[in-house]
Amino acid sequence: MRKWLAVFLSLSLGVLVLAGCGSNAGKNDDGKVQLELFSNKSENVETYKEMIREFEKQNPDIKIKLTSPPEAETVIKARLTKNDLPDLMAIGGNATYGELARAGVLKDFSEEAVLDGIQPAYTKMIGQLAGDEVEGVYGIPYATNANTVIYNKEKFEKLGVDIPKTWDEFVEILEKADAAGETPIYFTLKDSWTAMIPWNSLAANTAGEDFAEKKNEDKTSFKKAYGPVADKMLQLLEYGHNDNFGVGYGDGNNAFAKGKSVMYLQGNWAIPEIKKANPDLQLGVFALPVTNDPEKNKLVSGVDVLLAMKADIQHPEEAMKWIEFMLDHENAQGYIDEQAAFSALEDVFQEEPTMEGIKVHFETGRITSFPDHYYPPGMQADNLIQDFLIKKDKEAFLNKMDQEWNKVINR
Amino acid sequence: MNQRTVVYFLMTIPAWMLFFIFHTYPSLQGIYYSFTDWKGYGDWNFVGLKNYIHVFQDDRALNAYFFTFKFAIISTILVNVISLMIALGLNSKIQFKSTLRAVYFMPNILSILIVGYIFNFIFAHFIPDLAETWGITAFSKNILGDSDFAWIGIVIVAVWQAVAFNTILYLAGLVTIPGDLYEAGEIDGAGPWQKFWSITFPMIAPFFTINMVLAMKNFLMVFDHIMALTGGGPGQATESISLLIYRGGFEGGEFAYQSANAVIYFIVILVISVVQIRLLQRREVEL
Repeated sequence: MRKWLAVFLSLSLGVLVLAGCGSNAGKNDDGKVQLELFSNKSENVETYKEMIREFEKQNPDIKIKLTSPPEAETVIKARLTKNDLPDLMAIGGNATYGELARAGVLKDFSEEAVLDGIQPAYTKMIGQLAGDEVEGVYGIPYATNANTVIYNKEKFEKLGVDIPKTWDEFVEILEKADAAGETPIYFTLKDSWTAMIPWNSLAANTAGEDFAEKKNEDKTSFKKAYGPVADKMLQLLEYGHNDNFGVGYGDGNNAFAKGKSVMYLQGNWAIPEIKKANPDLQLGVFALPVTNDPEKNKLVSGVDVLLAMKADIQHPEEAMKWIEFMLDHENAQGYIDEQAAFSALEDVFQEEPTMEGIKVHFETGRITSFPDHYYPPGMQADNLIQDFLIKKDKEAFLNKMDQEWNKVINR
Repeated sequence: MNQRTVVYFLMTIPAWMLFFIFHTYPSLQGIYYSFTDWKGYGDWNFVGLKNYIHVFQDDRALNAYFFTFKFAIISTILVNVISLMIALGLNSKIQFKSTLRAVYFMPNILSILIVGYIFNFIFAHFIPDLAETWGITAFSKNILGDSDFAWIGIVIVAVWQAVAFNTILYLAGLVTIPGDLYEAGEIDGAGPWQKFWSITFPMIAPFFTINMVLAMKNFLMVFDHIMALTGGGPGQATESISLLIYRGGFEGGEFAYQSANAVIYFIVILVISVVQIRLLQRREVEL
């Protein structure tokens, strides 16, 4: 008898431990509908909280619970494995979204009216992430970002230069800055991902938007299409400081804020950090002019936040209400103002004077997407590019990129 | 079954179950998935040994193996030499012995990530700034940003931290040596050097074995030092195998492929540890 008691006790202990992992969704004790909103950004938690407070005031019978864990992409993949997706997701338009869309676990919005006011360029962009074999629109683009050149306005004035419209004009400014004893560009290549900022601008404007598609059909290769990109990367590197590979992103933000360089290659997301380090700095942004034809130079912009819904959601109407609330003109404007972001909504614009230099790209739709979002994530392009910038062997590097791509695709 | 057996069962079965659920079962699962093309979710097929064959053809994986072994062997030797020297010093009759012991143990208490960020600052700002003021151009750059020398930076941090723990183990070994052995040695006219080689070192041979095996195993599995210092860069110059498995498996969505890598790696570590124990224990017996 005692023996069985022991076995029973230890078994129930194990079951208790496992039961702790479960979760419950749906109705709350007080009869309210509870929805979980999952977010992958840490920067906008406060903004969401405020929006949720306002929404709950308008809809007293709905409660929204915000989840914003660190390492969110890994968390959401793990939850996908456990078949425990959140009701609502506000995630980035990247490879993880593509995976979720392909897994068939998200709601298709293609028949819904909420897509009407969204810029088609971004809807197309997330469609490409999901791939050709998937039909439908599984997310609503909401906030977007921009891959830019940030410049020090005071130094531009001192050098007597204006925002460059062509690559030649851009190089001219680099030369002028160099001659004046300034550091033209502050590189932060200790963090390999920062190499992707110039890389994406260069690749998007010269290698063609359908590169990944063609590469998978074996119709093109890095060797054929990326030669000019590699050349221009090396050319840019000549205008760095003396320890390009020893400084990381955080140090770079501080250095640029303190006026250590004329330009800084970073996205709009770096601006709040730079301003934190030096609130008085006069800075502006422009799109890296990659070619000598100003009409053809596009701004690289991606979906920073898209809204998605679980396919087998219990309370679709309530979830839709939240999405409509977020898409409301006033709320969308409030979000981008607070986050220094851009909107995917057709009639919502970022009016901040700092952003003047790229406003025209958004208004005329001269936007293109991040090429590296379409590379197979397993190849870790940023580390390969970092390695290339150190070794400067173009032929070997382009071959390596092709080789790694094929290797990852084939296994 | 008597009372005692029941108590033993009561104590061991929960532990065994927890161990099985959180340790054995996931490992078996990993081995199972290494024969599939599972991405972490969705459909999958059996692919046989394909993943294993690909690992051996993957020069990125081979690179990671080469780096990890180079790092582990050098660090293991350095850690054991330095910690044995510190332990000998701390075991002698010096002042502030306990204070010094506490100071030397400090690095082991700190989290590796925090240590990593501190050293990041030292490598990125402190050393280059100092070098610049003194006009030594060779050190005016961050060595973590140099693909040829970044591994040295990681060795310095890893050794600095690991020495603390191994010193404690050696100290524990040193106190087990009876004092009359040294007295007998002195009567026979042995110098300090001879005393070390003929008395101290043989007497702490079992501690030497365990320290060598533990250090080697820990360094082969190096992960957080690299994560905090270089993230595997520049390029892929400091990518260890654990980092590669994590990066490829979780960030790159190659779950099954990296499972195969992990299985191979597990076997490699197992073989190395067993061989090490065998060789070093044979030495213990002979002496």
